[in-house]
Parts: sequence; C-alpha cells; structure tokens
Amino acid sequence: MKRLIRLTATYLTLVVFCVVAVYPILQVVTISLRPEDKLLSTSLEIIPDNATFNNYVRLFTDQPFLLWLWNSLLVSGVVTITGVVLAAMAGYAFSRFEFIGKKFGLLSLLTTQMFPATMLLLPLYIMLIKVGLINTYLGVIVIYTATALPFTIWTMKGYYDTIPTSLEEAARIDGCNQFQAFYKIILPLAAPALVITALFSFMTAWAEYIVAAQILQDSHLWTLPLGLKSFEANMSTEWGLYGASSIIVTIPVVVLFLSLSKYLVSGLTLGSVKG
Amino acid sequence: MTNRIQHKLFVTFLVVPSFLILFAVVFYPFVYNVVISFSNMNLRHIKDWTIIGPQQYIKVFTEPTQPDFYTIFAKTIVWTVVNVFFHVVIGVFLALVLNQKDVKAKPLFRTLLILPWAIPQYIVALTWRGMFNYEYGALNLIITKYMHLPAVEWLKSPTEAFIGCILTNVWLGFPFMMVIALGALQSIPHELYEAADIDGASWWHKLWRITIPLIRPVMIPAITLGTVWTFNNLNIVWLVSNGGEPSDQTHILVSFVYKAAFNLYRYGYAAALSMVIFIILLGFSLFFMKRTRATEAAY
Amino acid sequence: MLTPPLSIVRRSVSCFLLGALAVGALVASGCRRPVNPNHIVIWHQMRVDERVILEAQLKRFMDQNPGITAEAIYKETEELRSGFIVAAIAGQGPDLVYGPSDQVGPFEVMGIIAPLESLFDPKYLDNVIPKGLTYFKGHLYQIADKVGNHLTLVYNKALVQTPPETDVELIEIGKRLTVDKDGDGKPDQYGLCWNYTEPFFFIPFLTGFGGWVMTDDGVPTLDSEGMIRALEFIRDLRDRYKIIPSEADYNIADALFKDGKSAMIINGDWSWAGYKKAGIDIGVAPLPKIVSTGLWCAPMVSPKGFSLNANVPEEKRPIVLTLLRFLMEPEQQLETARALSTMPTRKEALNSAFVRNDEILRNSALQIERGKPMPVVPELRAIWDAMRPGYQAVLGGSKTPRQAAKEMQALALRKIQEMNE
Repeated sequence: MKRLIRLTATYLTLVVFCVVAVYPILQVVTISLRPEDKLLSTSLEIIPDNATFNNYVRLFTDQPFLLWLWNSLLVSGVVTITGVVLAAMAGYAFSRFEFIGKKFGLLSLLTTQMFPATMLLLPLYIMLIKVGLINTYLGVIVIYTATALPFTIWTMKGYYDTIPTSLEEAARIDGCNQFQAFYKIILPLAAPALVITALFSFMTAWAEYIVAAQILQDSHLWTLPLGLKSFEANMSTEWGLYGASSIIVTIPVVVLFLSLSKYLVSGLTLGSVKG
Repeated sequence: MTNRIQHKLFVTFLVVPSFLILFAVVFYPFVYNVVISFSNMNLRHIKDWTIIGPQQYIKVFTEPTQPDFYTIFAKTIVWTVVNVFFHVVIGVFLALVLNQKDVKAKPLFRTLLILPWAIPQYIVALTWRGMFNYEYGALNLIITKYMHLPAVEWLKSPTEAFIGCILTNVWLGFPFMMVIALGALQSIPHELYEAADIDGASWWHKLWRITIPLIRPVMIPAITLGTVWTFNNLNIVWLVSNGGEPSDQTHILVSFVYKAAFNLYRYGYAAALSMVIFIILLGFSLFFMKRTRATEAAY
Repeated sequence: MLTPPLSIVRRSVSCFLLGALAVGALVASGCRRPVNPNHIVIWHQMRVDERVILEAQLKRFMDQNPGITAEAIYKETEELRSGFIVAAIAGQGPDLVYGPSDQVGPFEVMGIIAPLESLFDPKYLDNVIPKGLTYFKGHLYQIADKVGNHLTLVYNKALVQTPPETDVELIEIGKRLTVDKDGDGKPDQYGLCWNYTEPFFFIPFLTGFGGWVMTDDGVPTLDSEGMIRALEFIRDLRDRYKIIPSEADYNIADALFKDGKSAMIINGDWSWAGYKKAGIDIGVAPLPKIVSTGLWCAPMVSPKGFSLNANVPEEKRPIVLTLLRFLMEPEQQLETARALSTMPTRKEALNSAFVRNDEILRNSALQIERGKPMPVVPELRAIWDAMRPGYQAVLGGSKTPRQAAKEMQALALRKIQEMNE
C-alpha cells in the first residue's frame, strides 16, 4: 500500500514536470508548422489550422542546413572527444595526487568562467588573427574545449573523489602499473561522470554562437547556431524556418543523451571491494 | 628514469595539455581586458586609447545611472541565489524520483525533462516572453481561466518582469542539475542504503546522512559553476525583458555591461565593470570553496 | 610503489600526438581560403527574401566578370555593427559593408570606413537621388541602392476600405473597429496595434506634434511641447480611446495583424512582403496628419547602402567599385523593387513605369517624401537609450509626460557626454 502511494505520487510528479518542461517546446513546434512567419499567436492551439511541413522541407532544399549540420557534428564531435580525454586525465590527477600548484590550478579553472564572454571577444579576435586561426575549425575547437574544461575537470575530480583509493591499491597489488590502474579500473567506474563530461562538452560546442560568429567568416564553414541566426533579423525573423531548425537541432542532443544515459548506472562499485 | 621522475611525468602528462589550452585561450584576453579597464577606450578613442588610471572604476561605483550600481548588484544577487536554489532543489528532487528502482519508462521521462536544456535558447526565451503577455500570454490565460485570479502585468512592472525572467531561467536550468545529480547518485553504493534499512532508518535520515553527503563532491562544482554562470547569464534577462524593459529596470550586472559597451561603445567602462564582476565572483568562489573544502577528496 | 615503465609513457604520449595530428588533419578541411585579391566580400543585414535576390545578382555579376568572385555574408544588424567594428579595427573585415545610414556616424568616428566622393564621377552621383547619398562631416560615406526603412500605416483591406488621413479619423475608425465579439469584456479585435513601446515607432507621433529628437549638431531636443503632447496622445490611444492593446511589442502586434485581429498596424517596408505571404490583403497608406498642429506624422527615413572598409587596399578598390556600380544599376534596383516593394535610388529607376504605377510604391513614395531623414551622428544611439526609460514610464503610469520629457532630455545629455569622453 505504501508502495502504491509512493509510485502514484512519483508518476504524478513526473507527469506534471514533464508537462511544464514540454509545453514551451510544443509552442516551438507550432511555430515550425505555421506557414506564415509568426512567433506568437492569439490562439492557444498546438496544431494550427493550416499546419504544413513546408518549413522543414525548405530547410533542406532552400537552405544549406545539411552543411551546417555536418559542420556542427564535426566540431562538436572533436570537442567532445578531446574534452572527455583531457578532463578524464586532469581530473584524475587532481583527485589522486598532491603536487605544486594543485590548489591554484583548481581555483584558476573556476576563474576562467567568471568573465563575461562578450568582453573577451575583441582580444580573442586579435589574438586569433595573429596566430592565423581566424576562420578555421581549429580555432573554434580550441576555444570550445577551453570553455568546457573547467567544469568537466572539476566534475571528473569530484566523481573520482567518491571512488576509494583502495581500489587502485588492490589493482597495483595485482600487478597493474599506475596508468593501467587508472585506465582499466577507475575510468570505467567513473562512467557516469564521463557521461556528464561528454554531454556538457557536446552542448558547449553545439549551441555556442558568439565565438563561432566572430571566428568563422566563410559561410561554408558555418555551424548550426550561425545558420539559425541567419534566419533571424531584427524585425523580420523567418520564424517558420527558425522554429523548424530549432526542433531539428534538438534531436542530436536528445539522441546523444539517450545513448549515453545507459551508462548512468550505479552498482559498479558494489562487489569490487570485498571486506 | 627514477620512479619519482616517472611519477612526475605521469602527473604532468595528465594535467599539462588541459592547462596549456586554457591559458592560451584565456590569458591574453584577460590581460587585455585589465589593461583596457584602466584606459579611455570608447567611440572617440577606439584605436588611440591611452591609460588614464582608475577613472573607469570610480565611474562604475559612483555614476548616477538609473538604476545605480548597488541596486543592480543587489538584484543580481537575488537573481543568482533564487535561480541556483531552484535549479538544485528541483534537479536533485527529480533525480531522486527518477532513481527509484521500480519506476518504469525512465528513458521517456528523462528525455522529456532534458528538453529545456537541449533546445536553442533564443527561440524558447522569446516564446516565454510571449507567454508573459498580459492579454494573450498562456500564463495569464491559465491564471484567469483556471485559477480565477486577476491577470498579472508581467512585462510592464519591474518586479513582475524580474520574476518572469527568473521563471524562464529556472525552467531552462533545472535539467542540467538533474543530469548532474543523476550522475552523482550513481556513485553511492547500494550497500549503504541496505545497511541503513536494516538499522530502521527513515527516508529523511537516509537523505540527509547518506545521499546528500555523498553527492556533494560532484554537486559542489556544479553549484559553484552554476552560480557563476547564472550570475553572468546575459541571454535570458536580455531576451525576456527585451533589453531591460520596463525602463531599464530589469537588469543584472552583465546585461548592464553589455548595454554600456555595445550600445554606446564605452569599452573602457565595460571592461572596468567586468573586472568588478570578476572580483566579486572570485571572492565568492574562494569563500565557498573554503567552506565546503571542495579541493580535497571525499573519502 | 610501481611506476609506469617508460614504454607506457612513450605510448601514451605518442597516442596523444597522433590524436592531435588527426585533429589537425580533420581541421585542415575547414581551413581558411588564402587572401584573394579578386574575391570581394560584402557583409550585410538583409533579410532572407532580400538575400535571395542579392545572391542572384551576384551570380549575374560573376558571369559577366569572369575572374572576379563575390560573396555576401549575412549578419544581424546589431552584430553587423559590432562585428564590423571588431574586424576593421583589427585590420580585417569585408570589402563592403551594407546597412542603414546610422552606421555611418560611429564607423566614421572610429576611422574604419573610407570616403567615396573621389571614387565616383560627379555626373554619376547626380543620377542618384540626394536621399541615397549619405554625407557626414563633408564626405560621402555611403551610397545606397534603396531608400526607406520607414514606418507606414498598413491596413487590412477586408476591414478598412479607406484609410484615415487625420488623427481624428484614425481614432474614429479605431473605435469602430475595436470590437468585443464574444462579450467577455475584452476586445477580440483592435482597431490599431503596433510596437508602440519602442522609441523608433513613436517618432512619427513626436513629429506630428511638432517635436524632433535633435538639432543638426546632435544636441538632443527631447524636452519639448511636442514630446509632451505626443506622449499624452499615445497614452490616450490606449487608455481613453482604447483602440490599441494594453501591451504590444513587435511580435505581438505582428501576430495580431496576421491573425486578422487588428484592422491596422504601423510597420515598416520590411514587413509588407510578410503580410502578403500570410494572406492579408494589405493596403499601404501614409501616416495621418495631426489636426491640431496641421503636421503630417513623419517617420524616420533611411537609405540602406554600401560603405567601403578603410582597410581595402588601393589596388583592390577598382574591382570593388565595379561590383558596387553593378549593384547600383537601375536594372538591379528595379528587380528588388518589383519583388519587395523597395524604393530605388537611381533617378532612371524612379521614373520607370513600374515605380510610378505600383499602388504600394506610390504610397510609399508619398510617405518617404513626408518623412524626415534619420540622423547619422553617433549621438542618435544615446538618444534612443535615453528615450526608452521615460517613455515606458509614462506608459506604465509612474511618470507624467512633463516629467518624462525633462528626464529624457537630461539623460540624453548625460549619455552623450559619457559617450564622447
């Protein structure tokens, strides 16, 4: 009986929050289905009377949406992989070892986030021109990785902190060296944190606009946020196209989350430390 | 090679690549900004700016702007605290609910709940702005039709506009904390709960003695950075209030900087204000980190 | 304690280097093009339907001029401004920058655009209407292919047969057409709606009551009887005559008109094509005359044109000008006019049969004639920022028009001083 109450309350809560989460999204779907470019409407219907998929069709036929999609996947993919590798390694060092500059390093990671990004644009641009990285993907990738690192390193460190060092000691006694202990034993246990790191790095690159707009000048290099922005104008935004592309842009993120969330599993530590 | 040197190499190998990239990207712009904050860079002195000393900082604190620095600062603190509080509470709550073993359709719920994070902010923030419209917005329609309360003038009064921005940002931000909390919860061994059950512990006891302490190492960075990001989140306030309406009352420090710098080309002033924001956040983080001893390990 | 043997360290380092190489190779595919002296870049803020036409025109240009390539990149107006500033100060940026004339002021002060008058034959310039040539501090800085950006009265022909010519008629028609169809106490159809909380959209009424934003030297003139009366007028439209919605920003007004829930809207030439596409049978009329002053409501009129980046080297300027001249040709201007009802600037195009006979263009021309040129000086931005708070305070009820006008003026003076320090 107690279980029934608990489960009912659970499902009720989840449904309520899902409705709240989804309602504004549905409005964006509505925008994408309207043939006339309207952000708002005086009617509350989700599916408009004259709903059409025309905006979606136009995205792929009139606009180089596929090109933007490919570019974004490329950039975000590289940032994700780089980010996961670097954060997994650095976070481990901060968790397990003491070394000169450790505290300073950790705190300096935070300070990089404290600056309003818009203020960094002009010097960043000048710097990138000097090293020849303007209008390249390398420039964008480097900046995105740098943006995502502070949070991801801290998260990895925090997660490693919850894994007892006795596990590595056991591994070393069994004949592993330091790197193998890290790679074969600890890293798999930190899978949930790796999921967070991957998702966060991906989102950092996928949804970022300001830096990309400043660096990527050639339109054949545009990532999705730049493409979406091109539908925007101060007072004559193409809401239909914008809505449709917003919905499509959400899909890879959801797919990534779904495929990674099976690693958000617990119970792996159980059984690895006996007694 | 001795053991010690190999050990040092290993640690270096783990840490240096990340920091190289970070400092390369952040160092020069940061120094540049510090220099500009002591200069007179603006519309008339865009290429030939000179160092003039701390004038810009004095202006930041004493200029008779409407509203003044201290009001905006107080507003920013309210903005940050309220947002982070709800993000964390709702996020952890949902993670706990979803983490129960016998809940079905978890992937479905998780996917729906993450959508606010996944969708591009621009259009959804403007959609929210539309929902706040006095006559046609969804919120007032629900309030008047289903709750039989008078409609709220969301966007015309400063307090309500501010609340509107907060509502939108809470909606946008809780999925992130939920995902972090979900990840953090996985690090807690089931044995601990089982042992507590055997001892007859209540769910409240389990929450406060087991769950919260053990998700702390992962939540603390998220909360700290979440606070810093929220403090500096220009987009939502700007979009929902249409640049500070009504009458430039709906501002937090960053949106104010943005307006100063990019509308009126006062780059020196904006740089000084950015530095002030930076010092405030630095002070907070150092304090928070010390209190929660976050630079150490958990076990 | 065991430590990693050298082989492991070596392997890890080489892994990392290989990875870096792979990334580098991947990224080389997205590398920038080498700087090409025969490649012209235009940055603009044209909306999607204008862009399509521009792309077609550029293609024709490239067909006619083999060996030269031209590319147009879109940036949203505000970003175009700040993006161009950042790029040009760093010595880079496009060859031509296209936008409304108020860009010219800040760009000139920052030294990032080049004077044009020496690059054109005076007879050529004679063929462009004066409104299409933007002079600042004695030099020509922008040459425009379209003039307009002006607000007009747009009405739904299904609801309004003859548009109002005076403010009295406007209120009358407005009251007649503000109807509460379902008896719930709230109007389901408004006579008029528009983005009235934004200063730019308030200007026509300011001028109708005899006010204006600044003197020719950029000194604000916001504390005037005209301002006070105009503020009262807008407030009355909402509270006394009740013909406009209580809250309407750009998107709300746009939605109301597209939904057929507003008989009239005040909007600019950029919006007409969108309304036609939404199926509204629109008519365009000049804004009404204020009976008590005898003045026409005069919106701001601005050319949209090309400026030359000061960083463009001398050797490259001739081909950039070839492209500019091409885009300025009557043929190109008429192509855009036919599709989007824009107003050309070449006298030949203006005298063409099409322009003289098209109903919308005729009304548009009338409005442009009655409009006032948008000031080009950088001080205008400070004035917009100064007007907004006071204006919105009057609408919100926390200040009287008299107080607001005084404050706007004081704020404008202060902001201008800060901007120019």
